[in-house]
Amino acid sequence: KDGAKDNLGLDEEVKIKRKRVNVKLDETRLLREDIGIPKLRREAPKRLRFKGKGHEYRDAAKLLSYYQLWADDLYKKARFRDTLQIIEKLGHSRRMKMERESWVMDNKKKAGSNTQ
Amino acid sequence: LSKIPETVDPMIRAHILSLCSALGGTSTVEDGGYSLGDDALACLKDLKKWLKLYDQKMNRFDVARCMAEANLVKGDLLEILSAWEEDEIEDRIKQRLALGCIELLVPLTWPFERYNEQTTVNHHRHIPVLQFAQAGYKKAILQHPSKRILSNVVRVALPSVAVPPNERTERDEGIIKLVLYFFRNLVMIEHPMITETDTGEEISRSATIEALEEQNVLHFLLVVSSGMGIEFNTQDVVAMEVIYHLVKSVDIEKMFLTDEQESQKQGQDLTTLLKLEDEMKRASIRGASTRHNRFGTTVWIERDDKTRSFVSGQGALLGKSTGLVKMDASKKWRKPGGADTKGVSRKTEHDMSLTIERCAKAKLREFVGEFLDAGFNPLFGHLRRAIDRDAQRLLESNQQQYFYLIAWFLKAERMRRKTLAAGSKDPATSDFESFGLVASVLNQESLITLNRRMTDWFDTRQWTPLQSAMRCFTQILLTVQDMAVSPLEDDQEIAENIQNRLFYEEVTLDLVVMILRAYTKQPFGWLDDCTEMVHVHLKMLERFSKQHEHMFVRSRKRARAQRKKNATVEDGAEGVPEEEEGEEIAELSKATMRERAFNYSRFEQKFLTQSCVDTFLAFIGNYKELNYSQMKRAIIFFHRVFVKREQEVLMFRIDIVELFNRILQGPDGLPNSHPARKEMDQFFKHYMRKLVKMLEKRPELYVELLFTKVNSTMHYLQFGYDKQAQVSK
Repeated sequence: KDGAKDNLGLDEEVKIKRKRVNVKLDETRLLREDIGIPKLRREAPKRLRFKGKGHEYRDAAKLLSYYQLWADDLYKKARFRDTLQIIEKLGHSRRMKMERESWVMDNKKKAGSNTQ
Repeated sequence: LSKIPETVDPMIRAHILSLCSALGGTSTVEDGGYSLGDDALACLKDLKKWLKLYDQKMNRFDVARCMAEANLVKGDLLEILSAWEEDEIEDRIKQRLALGCIELLVPLTWPFERYNEQTTVNHHRHIPVLQFAQAGYKKAILQHPSKRILSNVVRVALPSVAVPPNERTERDEGIIKLVLYFFRNLVMIEHPMITETDTGEEISRSATIEALEEQNVLHFLLVVSSGMGIEFNTQDVVAMEVIYHLVKSVDIEKMFLTDEQESQKQGQDLTTLLKLEDEMKRASIRGASTRHNRFGTTVWIERDDKTRSFVSGQGALLGKSTGLVKMDASKKWRKPGGADTKGVSRKTEHDMSLTIERCAKAKLREFVGEFLDAGFNPLFGHLRRAIDRDAQRLLESNQQQYFYLIAWFLKAERMRRKTLAAGSKDPATSDFESFGLVASVLNQESLITLNRRMTDWFDTRQWTPLQSAMRCFTQILLTVQDMAVSPLEDDQEIAENIQNRLFYEEVTLDLVVMILRAYTKQPFGWLDDCTEMVHVHLKMLERFSKQHEHMFVRSRKRARAQRKKNATVEDGAEGVPEEEEGEEIAELSKATMRERAFNYSRFEQKFLTQSCVDTFLAFIGNYKELNYSQMKRAIIFFHRVFVKREQEVLMFRIDIVELFNRILQGPDGLPNSHPARKEMDQFFKHYMRKLVKMLEKRPELYVELLFTKVNSTMHYLQFGYDKQAQVSK
């Protein structure tokens, strides 16, 4: 008797398979505190030390590798150049523009208070 | 017999075949020569009627296909044409027969239009076969053992040409046109599919040029084009088309090399190419594994926060940057690019380049020289008037060809002068010719025509015609530049005048900037032409405005500002009658165009935008295909933005750093022997120095490096303080 029931599968719990969510690089991801631009703002000025004149290629490599690793953490699946393109495009939105302006303003204030 | 469905109605095939066999055939009596059928002329006429009343009227290709199957062209028409001996000048019957043959050959060799809404299933069935048939016709015509086909075709037109133009009947005009159309079709036919066994060499451009020259067709073309406007009138478009298809995409610089120079250059080219290949090989070995491919190395890249990325293969051990390159290369996801529905990125005829063989080269060079001496001014002057009139016989594509040809011949003329100047050892004694030979395209009217077309095509987003107009504009500028340094005083004066006119209208100046900004995904050739135009234009304008302290341009004044001004003036006097107001508006619209002093730096300011920089970045992105002058062009533009105008922030972007770094340092970057490498290297070093300084001064740039800059913060980023608000009183 039990076997017949099993065959019909009426008692079994119905499992709904969810479609895998594709990670997308959008504003919310770009603005995430742990991997997005806030991380870049926090860390980049401290981590990157340049040698300046006479070491241009080394400086460029250093800068690029830092950004590449940051972009890799931000959006694993895309290649560096593609990620940069996506980010650039996101920068045109109203929200991103406002954020960017406020970041610049922050620094401006800081710079102003330092000189005073 | 066979169950295969018929491609053509068997009744029609039977009709055509019987007509073809009635036309004539190989004789069994006279040594296997061709003998005409009794009613050959009537047969020719019948065949013509079939083509016209069945094929053309019903929009089918059935009859043409049957004729291809019946070997009509090679077996009959060419035999009849070649049978007209040179001494039989006055033979009316033979001439009539030859004309009948041409009347058949023209529709049979007519180019097929691209598939459009008129296309039927029938077209898809027949056109591929007919294209091969046409290639066969061309081969048979060019290689006919009598070597007389083409000259006999010209002979058909000669009696009509000999008649003075005002006495010519419509039939005479028609015959001349028919013959010209025959040559246009012939030159236009290309091999539809080139394979290893069927290279299409027999009908290549070189072979065509040689045959046309040997059989005096090029002379005929010269006669027609030099007599344009006097002897001939409506044949201008066809004559131009023949010349267009004869010279299109021919490499002019290579055409003007002498044999000695060419063989020397070929040797040099081979050496440089081999060296380049050697360098490439060495570069690829540098990154390759020194062990076998299952040696199995795994490397991790650790970041500051102790997270790791893993990369396999020995190459990753070489350095951090190779590891990062490998990490990137292993990613499979690609950013989906939008589909190019409008076909903007499709390559066009303008993007091809063709080198012709040695014997044909000399013949074409001679033809080009003679055409410039005699035919250039009459033909292009006449065509320009036709374009201005919007003549019925002109198609849109003809206008495009017109500008393409002007550009081509102007460049050829400059090359010819250069080779002449290099050939004569003593420049003082050699007599310089004036630029009068190409004057017809440098006068005010043609500049207006060019300008109007460019504006039209830009507004309607027709990129391919615009490309030909841009090319034409560039070549006109370069010719004027050569004229300005000519030893003849007249030339210098004229050059001065032309420059005055060229740089007078502000609308034209702005058009150049707008075109540069409008780049999206046009093919490389377009980008090349566009950047060249901008480069030459800017350079000449800069020099000209330096030489002339008081330079004026005609600009459109802003109507709104004027209206506002008027409103404040008339504030007190209210209740102005409406009529007067209307008059005033009319007067206003007249006054909106006015002269004002030209300020070069204000004009250059217009190039300091992101979209202009992006266009040049897209151009330099093709660095692997660029030669020295092209690389230089891009570097000069960047230098203009970055150093001369100090708009550094505009170029501080991480993708620019990446691109420049890839060009100079990447595994497939510029080879060490590339002539432009030094300049690029200098620029990049300067750029990096500035960038590093700026990053240390203003850390917010770390974020802004990712984006196109916003107007509101750009000034602060550049100078460290806000732009002072302009106080207007």
